[in-house]
Amino acid sequence: MRSLAELVSLACRLFLAGLFLWAAHDKVWDPATFAAAVARYDLIPLWLVNPGSVLMAWLELVLAVCLLLGLATRAAALGATGLMVFFTGLMIYAGLTGAGFDCGCFPGQAEHPAGYEAAVRDALMALPALWLLAWPGRWLSLGGSPRSRRQRLEYKL
Amino acid sequence: MLLSLAIIVATSAAAGLVFNLVMPQGIGWLPAYISSPAWQKADLAQAERLLAQGAMLVDAREAGDYKLAHAGGAVNLYPGEIKLLWPLLGDILKAAPAVVVYGRYRSRWPAAQIGQYLRGQGLARVYVWDGSLAQWKAAGLPVRAPRRARP
Repeated sequence: MRSLAELVSLACRLFLAGLFLWAAHDKVWDPATFAAAVARYDLIPLWLVNPGSVLMAWLELVLAVCLLLGLATRAAALGATGLMVFFTGLMIYAGLTGAGFDCGCFPGQAEHPAGYEAAVRDALMALPALWLLAWPGRWLSLGGSPRSRRQRLEYKL
Repeated sequence: MLLSLAIIVATSAAAGLVFNLVMPQGIGWLPAYISSPAWQKADLAQAERLLAQGAMLVDAREAGDYKLAHAGGAVNLYPGEIKLLWPLLGDILKAAPAVVVYGRYRSRWPAAQIGQYLRGQGLARVYVWDGSLAQWKAAGLPVRAPRRARP
């Protein structure tokens, strides 16, 4: 049972890491295009569009690296959950306002329209992050707090 | 856990800052058309004076907003289709003694973007009026709001 939970945690970690890496690489490399995509929602003031979009892109990338390596997994899962909840709300808002443009979530134009369908997708993507919050797992993990490493050592002894 | 998350956020912010400072595709705090504008700013009185002298008025908002209501006499030229529309309107705009552009959203300032583009195309007197259509209307200036045809 413990091994199954570890396996699910590992799968969730790798899935989320892959997802965030895929989503972030374009945003990080081409910040001007992503800033324009953020501005399309017309939610945040002009002076926050560029710094906000840069922070969002890099946050996705750093979360992906943390999840891939298993570093601070629970904190990364909390960050991923927060992002997914935010994206879900944003997609609902886009659906309510009738926005028909590309959501700007993933590479490729007009392939991922903003709206209710995208909200459901983002809500589903929050599930693995929620699992990791409850059960971060240890398999293929570099991280863990000194306390949890001590606990593991005591468990082995 | 919260401390770790704060470290993740701080790392992301620092990495983003360094990347955008170092890499050629990096963006500044504000877009170049606002941080280093080539256009001139105009207040409402100045815009009115320029229009009385024959300046052309450009609505830089998206086509849907323009169709709902726009300042009387304004033509619609917005960033999404500027390259497509420029060949049609370029000569008319170049012939005008000055161009006054308006249009702003919360997260975007298309008027500034269009102003920068027009200056880049060689237009000498490009003014951006940083005001809303409501302000225009409140000043008693003409607004055109085409009514939808009733069935």
